[in-house]
Amino acid sequence: MDVLLTEEEKMVRDSAREFFEAECSTTLVREMEIDPKGYPPALWRKAAELGWQGMALPEKYGGQDLPLLYLGLIFEEVGRAVAPLPLHSTVVAALTIAKDGTEAQREAILPAVVRGDAVLTWAFTEQDPRFLPDAVHMQAVASGDHFVLNGTKLFVDNFVAADQCLVACRTAPGSKGDAGLSLFLVDTKSAGLSHTPLVTLAKDKQSEVVFENVRVPRANLIGELNQGGPIVERMLDRATALLCAQMLGATRKDAEMAIEYAKYRVAFGQPIGAFQSIQHVCADMIVWIDGGEMLTYEALWKMDQGLPASVEVSQAKAFCNEKCEAVVRFSQIIHGGIGFMMEFDLHLWFRRVSAWTMRLGTSYEHRARVAHALIDLPGRVVLGRPVPVVAEA
Amino acid sequence: MDFGYTPEQEALRQEVRAFIKPNMTRELLEEMEDLNEGFGVSRVRGRGPRVDELFKKIADRGWLGYSFPKEYGGQGKDRISQYIVEEEFARVGIAVGLAGSGAPAILAAGTEEQKREFLPKLISGEYSFALGFTEPQAGADLASLQCRAVRDGDYYVINGQKMYTSAAHVSTHIYLMARTNPDVPRHSGISIFIFPMDVPGMTVRPLWTIQNEPRAPLGTTYGAARTNETFFDDVRVHKSALLGKENEGWGVGSMGLNLDRVGAARYLISVRRDEDIVNWVKANKFDGYSPANDPAIRDKIAELWIEAQVCRLMTMRSMSIVEHGGNFTYEGSAEKVWAPEHGVRTSEAITQMLGPYAQLLNGSPHAVEKGIFAHNLMGAFQSGINHGSVQVMRDQIARRGLGLPSGRRAQGPRQ
Repeated sequence: MDVLLTEEEKMVRDSAREFFEAECSTTLVREMEIDPKGYPPALWRKAAELGWQGMALPEKYGGQDLPLLYLGLIFEEVGRAVAPLPLHSTVVAALTIAKDGTEAQREAILPAVVRGDAVLTWAFTEQDPRFLPDAVHMQAVASGDHFVLNGTKLFVDNFVAADQCLVACRTAPGSKGDAGLSLFLVDTKSAGLSHTPLVTLAKDKQSEVVFENVRVPRANLIGELNQGGPIVERMLDRATALLCAQMLGATRKDAEMAIEYAKYRVAFGQPIGAFQSIQHVCADMIVWIDGGEMLTYEALWKMDQGLPASVEVSQAKAFCNEKCEAVVRFSQIIHGGIGFMMEFDLHLWFRRVSAWTMRLGTSYEHRARVAHALIDLPGRVVLGRPVPVVAEA
Repeated sequence: MDFGYTPEQEALRQEVRAFIKPNMTRELLEEMEDLNEGFGVSRVRGRGPRVDELFKKIADRGWLGYSFPKEYGGQGKDRISQYIVEEEFARVGIAVGLAGSGAPAILAAGTEEQKREFLPKLISGEYSFALGFTEPQAGADLASLQCRAVRDGDYYVINGQKMYTSAAHVSTHIYLMARTNPDVPRHSGISIFIFPMDVPGMTVRPLWTIQNEPRAPLGTTYGAARTNETFFDDVRVHKSALLGKENEGWGVGSMGLNLDRVGAARYLISVRRDEDIVNWVKANKFDGYSPANDPAIRDKIAELWIEAQVCRLMTMRSMSIVEHGGNFTYEGSAEKVWAPEHGVRTSEAITQMLGPYAQLLNGSPHAVEKGIFAHNLMGAFQSGINHGSVQVMRDQIARRGLGLPSGRRAQGPRQ
């Protein structure tokens, strides 16, 4: 038990921070908000040279096989810089291919990801916004050595830039919940695929993707037929924990801007940061961010140990959703009117953090998962011990 | 970052649990109910034969002063292992840790002689300290203290009054903060003294709390029936009673307070309500109504549980800092803001889950869990006041942690 960063972890964080400070100005961030692809390929390549896309991928495919916790440190810095890179969607899909894909799928996709030659994404949500297996209705029907996909996916991140997309479908007609789901690797250039960009708060690239008789080879099935539920759940858990890290990095930077502003902005004859009403809000902001970080890194650490981590992931996301939103709101308030102005940079963080609180599970959904584990499953709960309760020797 | 315990630490936890189970007899529990003074029943000797006997057994196992150096009566183990021992005992209402004891400050600032005199006896329970910090006019503004210690040859003569000297009526010594130089900035003229309670000139007067009539059940948050005010009337103590250097008591005291906050006791007083309510709703119904199925209650329970995890992780962070040398900037204050306020939120939320049942005190017909939730409500906020209020903690986070400037403040007369 030592929840402080090791020297090596600090180095990972610091080198990523230095890189973004040198390479990712807010001018670039603003340019990419109106760029059709939403990211600068040159920066994507440089990230690959630093090994980020492959950081947690197996060495066999060119990756570094480092823990997810290290990847979390990188995502904090991505968030801090609000870097316009399709890293989250790519890494989440690549990790799923690495863990649950076939050897052929890994060889076909992962080396290109590591080199920075591929952008990936994944598609889960349809009309029903909940991150529950029940929300998936899209059908994939077997036809010879192919599956035929029909349906519409929403909120697909970076689809406009992606080469491949993991798609969750129902393969057992009439099935419910976890049972009867399968995950497919779909080439985004496939015939029958079309997409419409959504106009989002974060000005990031999300799409509605329509599948009309899209034929996907059977070889592109990830895992066993109808057994995709747990694969998807693990994918979403990893995605959620890494998004928390990204949110927290952005939120901490946002809070630091408010704290710095409060040190030199004079009103009523003194810096506003000398007023306790401002000081106590700033203190709370830091307490909340620290709390979110520890929840998030505990979740990532558990995944790295191969331990169940769904409850920890939900703890982190429910907490981060509410606390990060509160921090960026207070930061706007401390800045006063200037934070409301387009020419001032603060909104770059405010809009993104707000948008990320809405993705990959709301506070209510994640608390429902925690409540289920606490209340509906047997055994007396003890804080600091696993929930759901595991019988101890 | 490492969020796990080593196999040795896990084995230690099982060993402590295996010890506790057969030793918590009905007779012992009855005696503990009578001795309960908040934060669990401590090792202070001579209070009750069964508790004394239990602590002797615990000492024989080597579980007292687990992380303190061997030459001072400890076991020289790591701080996390000590936490595990503390946590398991605290869950059954027994305080084996040294949080709030003054021992960490002696270890950090004491002379070799003081360490040898006090630490082994604090660890064994032969000695215990009452903490003489705040005063009637001082409240949370500790540095405004007026209790005076005037040098007279090899002695100091102490005059003044201390408030909320909890356990002064059962302690062997007082750990006193007094002003030794009134002519310098107020933080620079304070010293710390440790001396026996039975020196001439000291008077202890009881102050009774609102939480203990009828008697609060074991495990109540805070839970003390009594604290005290203590008067010093020409109390003469030898200069060897000084802890650290003269006039450097503020630094010693602040560091001691930070270290004293670290451990399982403070963490558990803030979070044990979370476990209680989850386990209670899982096991209980009112006629056909099950609070466990109420969506609003489920959402609130999950929210509180998540907050409690943050309490735990902040405790783990404080211990990690101690393991790395104990250099706190704001992290101890952060823990001391989050956990007490969480404890209050939980205590209040539970009253809204149980409705009118939550008003029933210990001994009442229909009382839920001996009325502990009602007793808690009366004392939960206490944890946000004692040992540094949450407002003062926020000041420290903002100024020391974030570098925000000090503002104009109401200037009282310098003491």
